Amino acid sequence: MIEINDLTVTYKSDKEQYTAIKNVTMTIPDGGTCALIGPSGCGKSTLLKAVAGLIPSFEGNVEINGAPVNPKEQTIGFMPQNYGLLPWRTVYDNIALGMKIKKSPALLDKNTIKGVMHQLGLEGLGHRYPKELSGGQQQRVALARVFALKPDILLMDEPFSALDAITREEMQDVFLKLWRKFEVSTIFVTHYVEEALYLGQKIVILSAGSGSISNVIDNPLFGVENVRGQEKFFQMGLKLREIIKKDWEQAWES
Amino acid sequence: MGKLIKWYFLAAVFLSVVWLVISEIVSLPIIPSPFLVAENLADIFMKYIAIHSLYSLMRIGAGLLLAIVVGLPLGVLMGYFARADKVLAPLVYLTYPIPKIALLPILMLLFGVGDSSKIVMIFLIIVFQVVVAVRDGIRSIPKETYYPLYSLGASFTDIFWEVLWPASLPKFITAVRVALATAISVLFFTETFGTQYGMGYFIMDAWLRVNYLEMYSGIVVLSFIGLILFSAIDIIEKQACHWQYK
Ligand SMILES: Nc1ncnc2c1ncn2[C@@H]1O[C@H](COP(=O)(O)OP(=O)(O)O)[C@@H](O)[C@H]1O
Ligand SMILES: [Mg+2]
Repeated sequence: MIEINDLTVTYKSDKEQYTAIKNVTMTIPDGGTCALIGPSGCGKSTLLKAVAGLIPSFEGNVEINGAPVNPKEQTIGFMPQNYGLLPWRTVYDNIALGMKIKKSPALLDKNTIKGVMHQLGLEGLGHRYPKELSGGQQQRVALARVFALKPDILLMDEPFSALDAITREEMQDVFLKLWRKFEVSTIFVTHYVEEALYLGQKIVILSAGSGSISNVIDNPLFGVENVRGQEKFFQMGLKLREIIKKDWEQAWES
Repeated sequence: MGKLIKWYFLAAVFLSVVWLVISEIVSLPIIPSPFLVAENLADIFMKYIAIHSLYSLMRIGAGLLLAIVVGLPLGVLMGYFARADKVLAPLVYLTYPIPKIALLPILMLLFGVGDSSKIVMIFLIIVFQVVVAVRDGIRSIPKETYYPLYSLGASFTDIFWEVLWPASLPKFITAVRVALATAISVLFFTETFGTQYGMGYFIMDAWLRVNYLEMYSGIVVLSFIGLILFSAIDIIEKQACHWQYK
């Protein structure tokens, strides 16, 4: 479970202060997913970083399974924009990296990594370096790295946005399969309305400019079989776009 | 590897032929034939030159080691901690452009004319390049690289071995390679006084004795020292940074 309570994040430099996130409150239940959608620069990455414990000081509370966020105590899987793979480590070592840092005993059991690699179709690629992989394969390695840890929570920043449309839909399905298996509470950032509808039980719209939540939508289409081809998926997408558009227009006016 | 050696061999043959042709055309004792030099080298290498080459190697090795021991942590500090860079960067930038060789008289007053001043000289030439290269190498790491590690509670030791060290290694090695060329020339110069040992001493001594064959033997050996150092660096780089060549 992820509980965010009245979170405000302010970046301070010598000259100015900038409040990127303001009074955000939201809850992701155990094993739930939440899509975060909003225009560029509205603070999506900042919110995710705060939940990951990467921002040293903020106002409000972030709790993971009832305890304040602490990267040393909890296992937080964080997938940054562009995957954050280490170019100087092989695929295998990149996947093992998280466990190495967590000093996880599962690391000694090579089968854990082999198993995750198998699930993600990465067999035979273990000795390659990230730059010898396609974008979709790199994405799989990044997923393998976080899921191999069996994290308490999973945070993904625009995970599929660098992929072409076909690969993106394929990776969304790969993600859903893993998520069902591991039941990890997940927050992910996206630009795409369809992605939010397909992967998010809850869709949170951050408003432009103010850095606060403008809308929370409980997504009735989440988990519906073959929903992408259905009329209601299309309709819901239009509706969601309408809401976002209205919100941004309001933000522009004020 | 075998192919590479073949090309090196061909290049050596080519240069020797050029040398031979020039010596035939000029036909003065100041440019002896490479055959005579090779013969002379075979004669006197173990007897006279080996000890001098060891001295030179030792001075370069000590200077290089010192430069790494000091420069690497400094570069890491400046690259990773913005505050350290704020304090140290002006220091580095003000001292970097000073031609180090101009400091030799001062170094000899401070450290004596013996080995220490020569080693410190080489250290000074290499250390700045190392600091700047390592710092820039670390600065060019995208922030995203750190996030997954931080979010797992990685310690500074983890960050160093997983990110900082491998990311800065290629730039670090390149810096050493560039600085080493200068270091060898400067070593030659510093060895022309205050010592009875070293390739610089040997070459200048042979010159004063008007023994051109020995002088050329010395030059050939000094070139070989350079070649060996550069090949060693290449091999280390290929081993340590082979992810770059994929
Ligand atoms: N380290 C930082 N220092 C100062 N301002 C920042 C920093 N990181 C982000 N910002 C600012 O905060 C705002 C939100 O950034 P971000 O969370 O990256 O937005 P998003 O991910 O939604 O595009 C932007 O206006 C950005 O300029
Ligand atoms: Mg962002």
